Amino acid sequence: MGNNTILYSKRTKVAEIIAADNDLLSILQRLGIRLGFGEITVDEMCRRYGLSTELFLIICNIYSKHDYTPYTGSLQQSDITHVTNYLLASHRYYKEVCFPQLHEKIHRLVEELDAVNRKLIDKFYDDYDSEINNHFMFEESIVFPYIEKLSAHSKENTTGFRISKFEENHSNVGEKLNDLKNIIIKYLPEEYSSPLRFEILKDIYDIEKDLQKHSLIENRLLVSLVQKIEKSYE
Amino acid sequence: MNNREKTKVLLIEPSEIIAAGFKEIIGRNPEFILMETLADPSYYSNTQRKADIIVINPAVINYNERFDIRSYFCSEGENIPIVALTNTGYEESVMRQYDGCINIYDNAARIVQKLHSAIEEAQLNPKNELNELSGRERDILVAVAKGKTNKEIADEFNISIYTVISHRRNISRKLGINSIPGLTVYAIMNKLIDISDFN
Repeated sequence: MGNNTILYSKRTKVAEIIAADNDLLSILQRLGIRLGFGEITVDEMCRRYGLSTELFLIICNIYSKHDYTPYTGSLQQSDITHVTNYLLASHRYYKEVCFPQLHEKIHRLVEELDAVNRKLIDKFYDDYDSEINNHFMFEESIVFPYIEKLSAHSKENTTGFRISKFEENHSNVGEKLNDLKNIIIKYLPEEYSSPLRFEILKDIYDIEKDLQKHSLIENRLLVSLVQKIEKSYE
Repeated sequence: MNNREKTKVLLIEPSEIIAAGFKEIIGRNPEFILMETLADPSYYSNTQRKADIIVINPAVINYNERFDIRSYFCSEGENIPIVALTNTGYEESVMRQYDGCINIYDNAARIVQKLHSAIEEAQLNPKNELNELSGRERDILVAVAKGKTNKEIADEFNISIYTVISHRRNISRKLGINSIPGLTVYAIMNKLIDISDFN
């Protein structure tokens, strides 16, 4: 991901943003933006798709600038639904695009391995897969519904849960993926020299980076917006 | 204490004022002796004697060249503590290379204290270590991979839980593997344990 100096504004053309940082294509993809949009600006695109322009610009900055600290001041409490909608779209992108792609390659790789290594990699990946899916499920079934109720100004049925619990539960889901990376780089025996190993590593690096940005959005944007609402009820 | 027993300090600092001040402060301490002052690290290869500790101004190093201070000053297997001498902040990734950091506004007592802790730090967390596991680390890795708790491992090896945790941290750092399932995969791939232990 580049460290671009271009300033993204609502009048910037979407095509220019992509030219500045093609990693942002995946943001368009997960938001369901159709290509062929001509000279459309960020603002026009967001209005057409019912997205928050402010949020879209923040996300673009998070993805293309290192060490970018999102500033929530420009977001309203009403933007919170936009944030959870984005996070849901992002989960879908991981579940329907990124992980199936990685899984398919891992599956092809293990077919080349001997019985022991096959079992090891298969099981390790399956464990990781269910861990990350549980993580997404926890957010989708507990955290996001809680936020929805909270922003609908209804305090009922939110008893017990607070967003600080989400932070506690937001354990390091990247740990196993990082382990898998090192196992494939360093420890799976050299005799398995399939080019798939390189392809898998590239996928893992991409997913790792994306998940990092994703958690930044959760930890910085989502949590602080929710805390503001929680405080207003106290 | 004669000079032979003193800890020999090599200073690499382009500013004569700072170098003179550092020499003065070190000179007052009976445990340390300033062996030599260099204005630039490139003179280092001309230095015949070995320093026990190197104090260096990070500004003399060109970061764009990704200069690895460790391999520059230490030959293989050597582990000379290296301390930064600075009046400004550096990125964490830069500071991680050093065993300690002296600020030019530190007083004499603090400077001596920092030299001591840098020596200790270099022994505890050697930064140029070979990434091979030690025998003890391998034994502990096997126990972890078999699913034993820190308490069980401490009892088995007759060491404190704190020591177990410290070994585990070092193992994970060396291998780049943190999760227990990951360590198990490593142990089986390297034939430290057998996969049949898990059926």
